[in-house]
Amino acid sequence: MGFFQFTEEQEMLRKAVREFVEAEIAPHAAEWDEKHYCPVELFPKMGEMGITGIFVPEEYGGAGLGHVERAICLEEISRYSAGLGIALMTHHLGIAPILYFGTDEQKQKYLPDLAAGKKICGLSVTEPGGGSDFMGLKATGEFKDGQWVINGRKCFITNASVADVDIWAVVTGQDEKGRALMTVFIIDKDTPGHAPGREENKIGLNGSSTGDVICNDVVLGEEAVLGEVNKGAKIALSAIQEIGRAGMAAISVGILRGCLEEGVKFSNERILYGKPLNRLQAIQFIIAENRVAYEAAKLLTYHAASLKDAGKPCANEFSMAKLFATEAAIEAAKKTIDLMGGYGCINEYPVGRFLRDAIATIPAGGTSHIQKIIIAGNAIRGN
Amino acid sequence: MTTNGAGGIWVVAEQVAGRINSVSYELLNKAQQLKNQLQKPEPVVAVILGKGAEGLEQLSNYGAEEIITVFAEELEIYQNDLYVAVLQALIEEKKPSIVLIGATAIGQDLAPMLGARLKTGVAAHCVDVRINENNQMVAVVPAFGGKVLGDILCPNTSPQMATLKPGVLGKPVPLEKPAAVVTAFDPSAVLQEDQGRIKALEIVREEQTGVPLEEAEVIVAGGWGIGSRENWDLVEELARLLGGAVGCTRPVVDEQWVQSEQQMIGTSGKSVRPKVYLAFGISGATHHLCGMKDSGLVISVNKDATAPIFEASDVRIVGDARTILTALIKRIKG
Amino acid sequence: MSLNITVCIKPVPDPDYYDKITIDPVKKTITRAGIPTIINPVDKNAVEAALQVKEKLGGKVVVITMAPPNAEENLRELLAMGADEAVLLTDRAFAGADTLATSYALAAGLKKSGPFDLVFTGTESADGATSQVPAQLAEWLDIPHLWNVQEFEVEDHTLKAKMSMENGYINYLVQMPALLAVKRSINKPRYTTVMGVMKAKKKPLTVLTAADLDVEPERLGLQGSPTKAGDIFTPSLARKGQQLTGETEEIVEQLIQVLRGAGLNLESLNVNEAGRE
Ligand SMILES: Cc1cc2nc3c(=O)[nH]c(=O)nc-3n(C[C@H](O)[C@H](O)[C@H](O)COP(=O)(O)OP(=O)(O)OC[C@H]3O[C@@H](n4cnc5c(N)ncnc54)[C@H](O)[C@@H]3O)c2cc1C
Ligand SMILES: Cc1cc2nc3c(=O)[nH]c(=O)nc-3n(C[C@H](O)[C@H](O)[C@H](O)COP(=O)(O)OP(=O)(O)OC[C@H]3O[C@@H](n4cnc5c(N)ncnc54)[C@H](O)[C@@H]3O)c2cc1C
Ligand SMILES: Cc1cc2nc3c(=O)[nH]c(=O)nc-3n(C[C@H](O)[C@H](O)[C@H](O)COP(=O)(O)OP(=O)(O)OC[C@H]3O[C@@H](n4cnc5c(N)ncnc54)[C@H](O)[C@@H]3O)c2cc1C
Repeated sequence: MGFFQFTEEQEMLRKAVREFVEAEIAPHAAEWDEKHYCPVELFPKMGEMGITGIFVPEEYGGAGLGHVERAICLEEISRYSAGLGIALMTHHLGIAPILYFGTDEQKQKYLPDLAAGKKICGLSVTEPGGGSDFMGLKATGEFKDGQWVINGRKCFITNASVADVDIWAVVTGQDEKGRALMTVFIIDKDTPGHAPGREENKIGLNGSSTGDVICNDVVLGEEAVLGEVNKGAKIALSAIQEIGRAGMAAISVGILRGCLEEGVKFSNERILYGKPLNRLQAIQFIIAENRVAYEAAKLLTYHAASLKDAGKPCANEFSMAKLFATEAAIEAAKKTIDLMGGYGCINEYPVGRFLRDAIATIPAGGTSHIQKIIIAGNAIRGN
Repeated sequence: MTTNGAGGIWVVAEQVAGRINSVSYELLNKAQQLKNQLQKPEPVVAVILGKGAEGLEQLSNYGAEEIITVFAEELEIYQNDLYVAVLQALIEEKKPSIVLIGATAIGQDLAPMLGARLKTGVAAHCVDVRINENNQMVAVVPAFGGKVLGDILCPNTSPQMATLKPGVLGKPVPLEKPAAVVTAFDPSAVLQEDQGRIKALEIVREEQTGVPLEEAEVIVAGGWGIGSRENWDLVEELARLLGGAVGCTRPVVDEQWVQSEQQMIGTSGKSVRPKVYLAFGISGATHHLCGMKDSGLVISVNKDATAPIFEASDVRIVGDARTILTALIKRIKG
Repeated sequence: MSLNITVCIKPVPDPDYYDKITIDPVKKTITRAGIPTIINPVDKNAVEAALQVKEKLGGKVVVITMAPPNAEENLRELLAMGADEAVLLTDRAFAGADTLATSYALAAGLKKSGPFDLVFTGTESADGATSQVPAQLAEWLDIPHLWNVQEFEVEDHTLKAKMSMENGYINYLVQMPALLAVKRSINKPRYTTVMGVMKAKKKPLTVLTAADLDVEPERLGLQGSPTKAGDIFTPSLARKGQQLTGETEEIVEQLIQVLRGAGLNLESLNVNEAGRE
């Protein structure tokens, strides 16, 4: 196994994305959070930059790059706005099943607009009955008179109220042991019966919209089926494992860098006992811990992404990256607030938001408990 | 090449639409000082190009001993090809040892072009010039946004040229001296050779409102820390109450809180020296400081106790710009 | 119409760090350690202007710089932004150049790197900031130029351009080939896109030394510079200040005293103000 290193192009790409982020995102991040606003107007701009379609092949209007590049974009954006980070990450999460399992017609129909950021994508899996209990989904698809009829309610869905294209996982049958068989559908926003429901008021990640999506006798043709009928579990799971967790890990790497940089900046500028705060060893310890957490999360995340790009198994690696990075981000944000004393609690500084955002990353893509179950299971099986 | 003949310290006086730019007077004052520092004094000569100009006697009042006028229809509006051709011909004929030009938009274009034609050195938008013990002109040139000052000499070629920033030399003073001799130079031979590569179509002047920054005794300046277009009204109001002018930093121009770029103070803007300079929400970047450092009393308000502007201030207030502005305006209004 | 457009760009120490610049008191050199090198900000406006012309009329955009070897990275960035080719002039012989020698070498580089209809530069660099290179480059190339350009249009082989000046502007007609030194406010440079980054690697970047150019060696670098640098120093702007403290009203009261002390007659101003209303 080689150690991960960025190529010259990847470094240049990071710089280009950073310039965009510093001009178009950083100045507004606090306001989006405060107003609970998902800046949909940035999607076409991110489209021009090549960010929304970063891993979509050029033939479908994307940038034709991979998942390391995707993680770079998510890290850079989430350095300032993890909220927009998750909106973008979920857009990718919806694109991936179309790209990896769609027919050529489906790809031709959806990918160019999605890659260009002209349309926004979402993935609806979680239901009120419990996100962790993936096999216990209740939403159904029935095949009647040559058409599919979809019913159900999804919750905690990112981009719920802003997505133009919604990918749904529903139960369409049972196997011989009575276990649910799933099928994945592509649903256009304006399809009758399909509508966003309540909008959640979240603790963090408020630069994104999260809420219910409801299907009430939504009638779809067979062309809406993604992959094969009754073989959708694999599609949804692989998206969550290799795109969702990858994205949440990269977002958390961005939050970690934010904590590190804001902590260093504050401790350089704040004068205490007539000296910069950074002269105090207790403060230096926090900076050191934040630095190591950032570097470690970065290594895990980009290493896993490079495996994905190399076509190697990577689900376990993304689980580890997601677990470590999201938990580390919470720790780092808390410590950075400590470092800043009273200022840490003042909303003029972004670290309070970093902490709220970091907390909200935990369930998204599967909770820490679930990641541990996966990681332990693999370890025990000798993987 | 060395300086020869009577030499002369030349000032290229700038006129726009027939009116002489006051930087010309600042340069003439300076030329008189240089004259006194030279081992062998040389005459101070003003050269003016255009279709004509009002108030030539002012050039004399501020230091010109001789005035060379080059008036022609074609020279009405600044056109670099023509102006440089004329000046080159004049300089090659009369061989001045020093040529000073205002670092205005026109001067900053004209001077280097002329320098290239004459294959001589040009010191750029200097903050001062002097004569050293070797009888050479030393120009003090700012770089790195004003953080660094370097002495620039031009020992081996002639003339020694420099552009000087308007405002940096201070207010020009009229001198007691006899009236200048005015001679006219006929440019027609030079103008005939023009290839017509460039042609001035029209000159458009923008109306100036309020007290000009250069002349104001009080300047109320605001920076990015003012926060919004609405808050900016407070800066304008205080300036009006104090009978002063409004200045700003570059981000304020970018945000379009002010109408005109002409209100910017600093390296790429104006150099000012009011009696009182009030800075609200300005961090004090070198680029800005070097445009206001010669102000009399500097008062600054910034919420960040470590802002560099405080280093360069006589009176410091750590606080919110809007709060202080509002309270001060209220107090003055009584 | 297909135009050959060349843009002169200069790598400079990032101006956000100029407060941190110091001068070695013994060696009298400028210490800029730790300050990142970026593309002179207004030169990106020049590249943007060139790209817009190319997009409208067709042609090719070449970026050129005279700089140390590591400027390749800055040139790659501009290839990623959209330029088609890059030329780096690098040689110890160019070192120590004033603006006349800089523009001489640049002119030779421009001639070597192919024909040009339009040359763009920025108005001034952030570091040396003399703003003299554009006019002198045009002189060495023997083409007309305008400095401080706020707007322009290409019509056939003629440019219509607006030179901005204090409190106004002048409109000109200029015959091409010509050089325009553009202002920061002329446009907003585009972002470099991910696709641009990927394409940059395949675009040609040529490195030329003095030996590759048709030049008289004595016109290059320090030797070719009519200006000579003398002493160099950082001016101290420090003032011995007094801080006003207290509640807002107390601060304002003290401030009023300070303003009065400076000779402002606030009462009369006040009356004037009242009189005006
Ligand atoms: C900001 C945000 C965005 C989201 N975006 C999307 C989206 O776009 N699409 C989507 O489909 N979903 C989305 N989700 C939902 C997310 O996937 C679920 O919240 C997650 O899977 C957990 O499900 P749950 O909330 O129902 O918790 P539950 O599954 O009810 O879990 C409750 C608790 O039980 C623990 N637990 C559950 N099972 C086990 C077990 N076997 N062993 C030990 N502990 C266990 C959990 O760790 C947790 O602590 C989002 C969530 C958030 C917070
Ligand atoms: C303290 C100090 C003072 C100085 N004073 C003088 C002086 O008074 N007179 C003098 O002649 N020299 C002076 N110099 C030297 C001058 O800075 C250098 O010659 C420099 O290489 C070019 O000038 P500039 O950076 O001022 O460019 P400017 O003329 O300000 O640059 C304008 C535009 O020209 C183009 N350009 C400039 N340099 C290059 C390049 N290397 N490659 C490609 N394009 C370029 C860019 O488009 C730029 O936007 C001084 C240097 C220092 C450090
Ligand atoms: C080549 C070049 C040339 C330049 N030329 C110029 C020039 O001629 N003139 C110029 O000004 N700049 C110039 N600049 C820009 C310069 O480098 C600085 O970026 C600029 O001066 C900063 O402006 P500022 O102080 O308004 O903003 P900032 O540096 O952003 O500072 C804002 C300040 O406001 C304070 N503040 C914030 N909120 C409040 C509040 N509520 N109350 C009180 N204080 C508050 C902050 O603490 C901070 O100190 C140039 C830059 C370059 C690269």
